[in-house]
Amino acid sequence: MNLIKSEWRKLVYARANWGLLIAATLISVLSVVVTPFILSSQGEMFGLSLESTAAVDSVYANGISGYIFAIILGILLMAGEFRHGTAVATFLTSPKRGAVVANKLAIAAIAGILLMWISTGISMIAGWVALSTFEEAGSPSDNLLINTFIAATIGGAVLGIIGVAIGTLVRNQMMAIVGSLIYLFVIDPLLLALLPDAGKWLPSGLITAMLSLDINAPELGFDTSSYLPAFAAALVLLGFGVVFAALAITTSLRRDVE
Amino acid sequence: MTAIAIEFDSLVKQFGKQRAVDKLTAKVSSGRITGFLGPNGAGKSTTLRCLVGLSAPTEGSAKILGAAYKDLANPLTRVGTVLDSRGFHPSLTGKQNLKVVAAAAGISDSRVDEVLAMVELTDASGKKVKNYSLGMKQRLALAGAILGDPEILILDEPANGLDPAGIAWLRNFLRNLAHGGRTILVSSHQLAEMQNTVDDVLIINKGALIAQGTIEEVTQGSTLEEAFLKLTGGQLS
Ligand SMILES: Nc1ncnc2c1ncn2[C@@H]1O[C@H](COP(=O)(O)OP(=O)(O)OP(=O)(O)O)[C@@H](O)[C@H]1O
Ligand SMILES: [Mg+2]
Repeated sequence: MNLIKSEWRKLVYARANWGLLIAATLISVLSVVVTPFILSSQGEMFGLSLESTAAVDSVYANGISGYIFAIILGILLMAGEFRHGTAVATFLTSPKRGAVVANKLAIAAIAGILLMWISTGISMIAGWVALSTFEEAGSPSDNLLINTFIAATIGGAVLGIIGVAIGTLVRNQMMAIVGSLIYLFVIDPLLLALLPDAGKWLPSGLITAMLSLDINAPELGFDTSSYLPAFAAALVLLGFGVVFAALAITTSLRRDVE
Repeated sequence: MTAIAIEFDSLVKQFGKQRAVDKLTAKVSSGRITGFLGPNGAGKSTTLRCLVGLSAPTEGSAKILGAAYKDLANPLTRVGTVLDSRGFHPSLTGKQNLKVVAAAAGISDSRVDEVLAMVELTDASGKKVKNYSLGMKQRLALAGAILGDPEILILDEPANGLDPAGIAWLRNFLRNLAHGGRTILVSSHQLAEMQNTVDDVLIINKGALIAQGTIEEVTQGSTLEEAFLKLTGGQLS
């Protein structure tokens, strides 16, 4: 319990972490709110009109856009220890490094979930407000709310964990963040578009799959029919989390701390 | 025979081709202040890092209270450490930094206020550490070291960055800690200061032990500075 309390304090004392929550919320709200405007004017072009359930679902689906910040949060929690040298005090206080990293993974998972709940929740409300200004807007699918909730929860936890693992492997905080952003914004979407068979196994594809959307808009590079079923996607994503957590715990045990 | 608080046994730490610590075997007695001396780059900080488990020895071992540091239960309550890298989060306040550590060691928040008062940082405790002066950071590090009221203190150049008043304060601070029967292993380049503070000395050069004993045995009537320069060849390694 001591270590969890200590990690929790590290999380809430650092202003940068609150900044990430605000940024995640703003990005999610923005991407949810602009989508109905794009669909209402350009939707026909993509074969998605705002009257359809699929279109409305795709509006709300943007509510989970904040997951990128869950990874960054995880990276900051771990790589920040090496960047600022607080790893020295941390490991002097608890020299059993595996226990420290395990507790950090737990806090990163909790922080990722909270970040996703808050940013997704607020942006869903914003999406509802935005959609209510369109008379033609249809209604979302029945399971949208629960699916989004599950995607946000598992996605937030796993991405927070992956962030900590990246932070243990790549101790340079800048490199870890930039590398992850390049991966998530460039490599992952490219793979998803070029090799959907492989891409659906990667984080962005898995998180989207968990929403169980039924959208076929090839012009948007978006065809959910090839994605994994939501439940399988959640399991694979959790598997990623476990592998990364194991990697984080084993690698942090050996290296010298400066 | 006095009890042994710290024991190095053929400790070796190799960085690539360089041997930073070279088969160091030495003992530190409990209840005494031991000065850990050596020229720049002699391997003092590396030795201390191996002692507290932050660096893994290449060969040999370093034991504290009869065990490897990492095997001590709640080490902060047994051993307090100030290293050359202070490791505080710059955007947290001094008090927040200590509260993070206190939580991990199961130490109460009221003890945090207590140690902040002991190092005379109460007024600055709400300031972010990035706005601290070098001396304030050093005091905060000392506050962190005594947080768990440990019986052993390991201090790597604690006088670093302190002004003359700060050094005088540190001298008193260490004396008070030593009077309580604590063991202190302190590295420093301030030999005149050390001469008046320490009971024993441990001198290393190029990673290897070159002298060990009580201050009287090592200085043999000369000053610590003279003895040190003679033993180390008066050159930086
Ligand atoms: N992480 C590292 N990687 C490579 N070499 C290192 C590392 N840490 C220390 N060294 C080398 O080991 C030697 C001993 O360094 P150390 O910091 O232990 O000396 P020191 O006695 O504390 O010196 P000073 O009095 O200047 O603080 C130096 O030559 C240093 O360059
Ligand atoms: Mg040093």
